[in-house]
Amino acid sequence: MDRSQKSSAPPARPTGPQFWNPYLAGVALGLVLLAAFLVTGSGLGASGAANRFAAATVNAVAPAHADATPQIARLKQGGQSILDDRLVFMVLGVVLGGAVAAYTAGRMGRKVIKGPRLKSNKTRLALALLGGVIMGVAARLALGCTSGQALSGGALLSVGAWVFMFSVFGGGYGMAYFVRKEWT
Amino acid sequence: MSALPFMPFNSLSGDHRELGLVVAVLIGFAFGFVLERAGFGRGDKLAAQFYFYDMTVFKVMFSAIVTAMLGVMVASGVGLVDLKVLSEGAVSTTYLWSMIIGGVLLGFGFIISGYCPGTSAVAASSGSLDGLFTFLGVIGGSMLYAEAYPVLGKLYGLGDKGQLFLYDLLKVPAPVVAMAVTVMALAMFLGAEKVERIMARRRGDDTPLQAQAGRPKRLAFSVLGAAALVALGTLALPAAPRAAIPRATARPISQPQLARRVVDQPWTLRILDVRARKSCEVKRIPGAECAPIKTLGELGLPYASGERDLVLVATRTLGQVPVAALGYRGKVLVLDGGFDGWRTYALTRPTPPAATASAADREAYQFRAALHSAMTGRKPPAPVPAGGVKYVPRPKKKKGGGCG
Repeated sequence: MDRSQKSSAPPARPTGPQFWNPYLAGVALGLVLLAAFLVTGSGLGASGAANRFAAATVNAVAPAHADATPQIARLKQGGQSILDDRLVFMVLGVVLGGAVAAYTAGRMGRKVIKGPRLKSNKTRLALALLGGVIMGVAARLALGCTSGQALSGGALLSVGAWVFMFSVFGGGYGMAYFVRKEWT
Repeated sequence: MSALPFMPFNSLSGDHRELGLVVAVLIGFAFGFVLERAGFGRGDKLAAQFYFYDMTVFKVMFSAIVTAMLGVMVASGVGLVDLKVLSEGAVSTTYLWSMIIGGVLLGFGFIISGYCPGTSAVAASSGSLDGLFTFLGVIGGSMLYAEAYPVLGKLYGLGDKGQLFLYDLLKVPAPVVAMAVTVMALAMFLGAEKVERIMARRRGDDTPLQAQAGRPKRLAFSVLGAAALVALGTLALPAAPRAAIPRATARPISQPQLARRVVDQPWTLRILDVRARKSCEVKRIPGAECAPIKTLGELGLPYASGERDLVLVATRTLGQVPVAALGYRGKVLVLDGGFDGWRTYALTRPTPPAATASAADREAYQFRAALHSAMTGRKPPAPVPAGGVKYVPRPKKKKGGGCG
């Protein structure tokens, strides 16, 4: 779909037969989560892997500094590699699964996704980076992100996970007005 | 730890490490595949949630939560997994305020970037540069957190409620909460669709939303409803069948035997003090866990490795060994004389043996004297051997995040 033609019309809505029915997709996602619970004893996760990538990068560039930073040093305990972690492998799988799904659906290709009113790709990429940085900090504070905390903890009825989930929606709705030019 | 005893996949344990990592990749693959096919690789579709145009994020997330929740409830209801054991292993501590602050911040980041950390990886994998930048941002944010921990860390760990579950908070059985969550989710799905219709009309957009196509929706709704009823129905089942299969029989252990092992090989023991929590908190055998007899079932003893011998300490000799402990795979020992016996043996100053006592008696006395001084900190009665009494406390396990 050519998004540049849509600037005056209502924003193109990527909804339609190209995606799974949301309820069936949700049930499928729930079954993946259930399998993770039953087979590995823990849920899904993503931000934990990003944290490990971050620590591994610092450790590779400045090992002495990594040892002096408690939040990084604690991931090195036991002498094994920082990247030697279940969640790192899981995110590897996420990237593979996402790539296969996108390729087989004809959605693979270099692109910058943004709302119809935003013309500059650079602005979009800067906002993407900024949002990512905020989420990186947020996920450390909340002991997880939407996958590990909201989804996995929520399914096991953890109070913290539900509080977190509603806070995410609250934060998103609260900020949406201020970035409306990015999306609508 | 695997929740299913017959599926010992665990990326952390030596034996199945490689297998555990392969399983992690496979689960991640399915996770990424489903997210992409749900449309979660597109930031504009995710962001539309926050402008009420397209509530897919909400629908997918809650259908997933309800599905996994009901699956766990049914599995635990029929005795396939222990809900408590699974939850304690897979769920992080509730830091109420940190989670509110982190959640709101993550919501900000979500709408600014268009993704959450997991979906940004999916977007990046399909060639979307904004997804890639978001994921790099998450890595950068993690670095920032580690570097600025002296400042940002002040927001961490606020409102510590321990591991807290909705069913404990509401004091109702877990399947009842699950039923309520399911009903709430289904009602909210219908509400979300209504909002979508209103927004579409307002925008003069008459593209029919796929979600409104009835059949898949009805299918998903009825499957979830039926699963909720089944989960609720398991409440009527008698206690989980495995509780009826004792794997071990309890044997007695004497005070001197236990004392020697506490001193010499504490790592071979798991001591459970089953007295009332208050008494246990005041004084207990070194290394003992306070596990009042009614809460033994929550420890998940049938799932523990069984490498250490389980020692049960009551006030006096424990009469009947609780079923929860009999499910333990290792040896189960009952302390002869209970904690009262320990008080007499280890916490009371021993009388020195007569000059005519045998060497064995002398040795026993020396041990008791040393133990007594180590336990009470009081000056040992002379003569005593120097040192020799050590006790190694069990390290406390720190709970990490589901993501962490």
